[in-house]
Amino acid sequence: MPEFVSSNIAKEMEIYGYDSVVKSHCRMCHGGCGVLIYLKDGKVAKIAGDPDCPINHGTLCSKGLASAQLAYHPDRLTTPVRRIGPKASGKWERISWDEALDTIAERILRYKEEFGAESIVPGYGTGRENEAVIYRFANLLGTPNVLTAGHFCYGPRIATSILTCGTNPIVDYENHPKCIMVWGNNLVISNPDCYKGEPFSVSLDKGAKLIAVDPRLTRIAARSDVWLPLRPGTDTALALGMLNVIVNEELYDREFVENHVHGWKPFVERVNEYPLNKVEKITWVPAEKIREAARLFATTRPAAIQWGVAIEQQVNCADNNRALMALMGLTGNIDIPGGQMLFSPPKIRNVGQFGAHKMLSKEQAKKRLGGERFRLGGNFAIINPKCVWDAILEEKPYPVKMLFLISSNPVMTRGNAREVYRALEKVEFMAVSDFFLTPTAELADIVLPAATWLEMDYIGDFWKRHGHILPRRKAISVGECRSDHEMLNDLAHRVGQGEYWWDTFEGGLDYILEPMGISWRDFKKMDFIRGDVTYQKYKEKGFSTPTGKFELYSTLLEKWGYDPLPRFREAPESPVSTPELYKDYPYILITGRRLPGFFHSENRQVPWLRELHREPVVEIHPETAEKEGIKEGDWILIESPRGKVRQRAKFFAGMDPRIVSAEHAWWFPEKRDPGHGWDESNINILTDNAYESCDPAMGATHVRTLLCKIYPEKTEGDNS
Amino acid sequence: MKQYGLVIDQEACWGCKTCEVACKQENGAADGIKLIYVSEDGPRMVDGEPYFVFRVNVCRHCDDPPCADACPEEAITKREDGIVVMDYEQCTGCQLCIEACPYNAITFDPDKGVAQKCNLCHHRVDKGLLPACADNICLAHCIFFGDPEEISQTLDPLTP
Ligand code: SF4
Ligand code: SF4
Ligand code: SF4
Repeated sequence: MPEFVSSNIAKEMEIYGYDSVVKSHCRMCHGGCGVLIYLKDGKVAKIAGDPDCPINHGTLCSKGLASAQLAYHPDRLTTPVRRIGPKASGKWERISWDEALDTIAERILRYKEEFGAESIVPGYGTGRENEAVIYRFANLLGTPNVLTAGHFCYGPRIATSILTCGTNPIVDYENHPKCIMVWGNNLVISNPDCYKGEPFSVSLDKGAKLIAVDPRLTRIAARSDVWLPLRPGTDTALALGMLNVIVNEELYDREFVENHVHGWKPFVERVNEYPLNKVEKITWVPAEKIREAARLFATTRPAAIQWGVAIEQQVNCADNNRALMALMGLTGNIDIPGGQMLFSPPKIRNVGQFGAHKMLSKEQAKKRLGGERFRLGGNFAIINPKCVWDAILEEKPYPVKMLFLISSNPVMTRGNAREVYRALEKVEFMAVSDFFLTPTAELADIVLPAATWLEMDYIGDFWKRHGHILPRRKAISVGECRSDHEMLNDLAHRVGQGEYWWDTFEGGLDYILEPMGISWRDFKKMDFIRGDVTYQKYKEKGFSTPTGKFELYSTLLEKWGYDPLPRFREAPESPVSTPELYKDYPYILITGRRLPGFFHSENRQVPWLRELHREPVVEIHPETAEKEGIKEGDWILIESPRGKVRQRAKFFAGMDPRIVSAEHAWWFPEKRDPGHGWDESNINILTDNAYESCDPAMGATHVRTLLCKIYPEKTEGDNS
Repeated sequence: MKQYGLVIDQEACWGCKTCEVACKQENGAADGIKLIYVSEDGPRMVDGEPYFVFRVNVCRHCDDPPCADACPEEAITKREDGIVVMDYEQCTGCQLCIEACPYNAITFDPDKGVAQKCNLCHHRVDKGLLPACADNICLAHCIFFGDPEEISQTLDPLTP
């Protein structure tokens, strides 16, 4: 009789005849899951979850399982290439690493000399665990301009939480919250940032109450006790409405408020500006539902808010985050078991220290693009991307001459894609490091072949706030691909930064670990290291904020000239703020619902993942579809004042008929022309990036809610 | 004899489709052919409440499998341990089983010219390993392998 033990490593090895198994740490998204990589004849034969990993407990997602198809993809770039035709001509020649890096180094030195280091802008996309090396390189070079997604993804959580309570409050699923409020997040699909869907799912199975804030009926919303289907973009108003209930019904934690918050009185005045009848009007959510959710959240302990990027890609970015943190704080859920933990990291050199921010001179820091305008972002070394496009296109306030984009595809993923494209067409020199020739890379001068996570040693989850680090161990090599860390370590020597770098990047790993008294070789033998877990540290030490309190009222925002309290701003384009436009564009478009298998613009060429979802899909309420003459499965056009794109219509009754929900970051690697269909279905053709529409403090581009019209695409011979 | 089958707690499924890819990795079914697949039921209103669930569809390894009866080549057999195995060597591609299966669990692979379905990873099960989709990959922990009756009993208290 066979015995069954989950993930039986010894038996897998024996039966399939694998040569070895490497424990590692996946990074098909931001990273996070422990994995087992089974190898045969030097190649990855199978990927499985690591049951011993404290993050994912052996489970995985589709992306992690398909990693080998990414690594061995026939289209993968395996040597450096140089463009030999015009931009986007698709004409490339292979060059050696030495030639590629020498060319890049020569440009860097030349532009620094002629236009100043600020004319060189390195960048990355979502955090791919290369951010610390990129910042280190930039700061040592002397450029204050690093182009990232940080203005509207995770950066705001870090910036606003440091302002409010010292660090990002992370849901403590290990101790099972009794109430979870999921706010604009579909973590079971996206496994975002410091979270994986698995621990959340387990806490629900243990009986946690569930509140879902989402305009769409996700499965999380369908399973919830209370679903608040808000009008897109009105999150701050909804949160302030809930705070109004909690304050006026005195459901808050008295001890916490009396002893540990700053700005209670003005805060109460502010929430009193948001009575439920007003909030109902703004948000479309019935007052009674808001009250019910507020009471459930405030009276169930411990409770936690599962938040994410959706609320950050809005004009209310910083205030959305601050209002949610106020909910966590007032209900006494900060730093308690099963609540929202302020985890301590292991005692290593952290991303900020490794990033060498102190090495950037004050004088250079002052030149940060948009730093005067977006002062919250600027103080966290984060810039708004339009500032870079303008500096390329208009050369104001000074010219940007060179971009160095490392795992970033801004043509697909930043607001106002046509402007992004123009800027990339114009920039004098651009280097890219990536797996494939993406629509962005097709505009580069030199493209470097980046290693996947299977091909590198690194300290996984180094940048996260859940208090763990885990070894990512190199299992294979592919062509001449190099990790971004090794590549920058090499380039640094070629531009005269050698003294701050190492012979190989293993030295960098040792440097990170040094304060713990261990080296990479030691760490490689471990499963993970966790920082000390202690609760309610603020009772002894206070919060790590200017006042030492939980700052409902932010003294730093006040100092930088912003409203120190959260308030609701109407979206730049909406039925309320632009009623005239609404007549011509009569639907609220939301963008970027999460799909299994894809990570923003990635994985459209990975067969097992593309098979999960072959085409861009726009969800339309059946009533709306009927009104617009749209049939299920039609290709339709979605149009905003900035442009139009096509996606395939799918009926979805789980949202207000006034809402249309499109997918983001679609391009078509299978289209062999160098554009790869970048502007056919790319929702950022429709989004705006005007400074006035961005979050005034953080500089977050408002890409999640806008106005649109929809209509069937005319096919050939169709004269209607 | 101990019986084997898959039991899936559909209410717990999040629709992440990891099980689909785990099956691909193990069984290498061609592009477009899924031995296990996840579909959507809803959204719609049920008793005045919004309703939306995922449904994981896979061969049920029926007690009295109509697919086996329909197959003129006797390519489908039910083993004593309950696993209904389709032998691809014997399949001639007549597709009668596809019509006979009440659960849409069989697909036709036009390139290979044979029908395909979940064989409950019997090549793993016979060696004491769990089927690929049930090997602790699911974040909802909702795919169970073992004696279906025993599993259903343990699941019952959870399903109201
Ligand atoms: S892996 Fe689990 S949660 Fe994901 S689709 Fe399959 S059954 Fe559902
Ligand atoms: S293929 Fe269909 S009929 Fe045959 S055993 Fe499976 S579910 Fe039953
Ligand atoms: S038991 Fe094996 S063949 Fe059947 S669905 Fe699961 S992984 Fe696929």
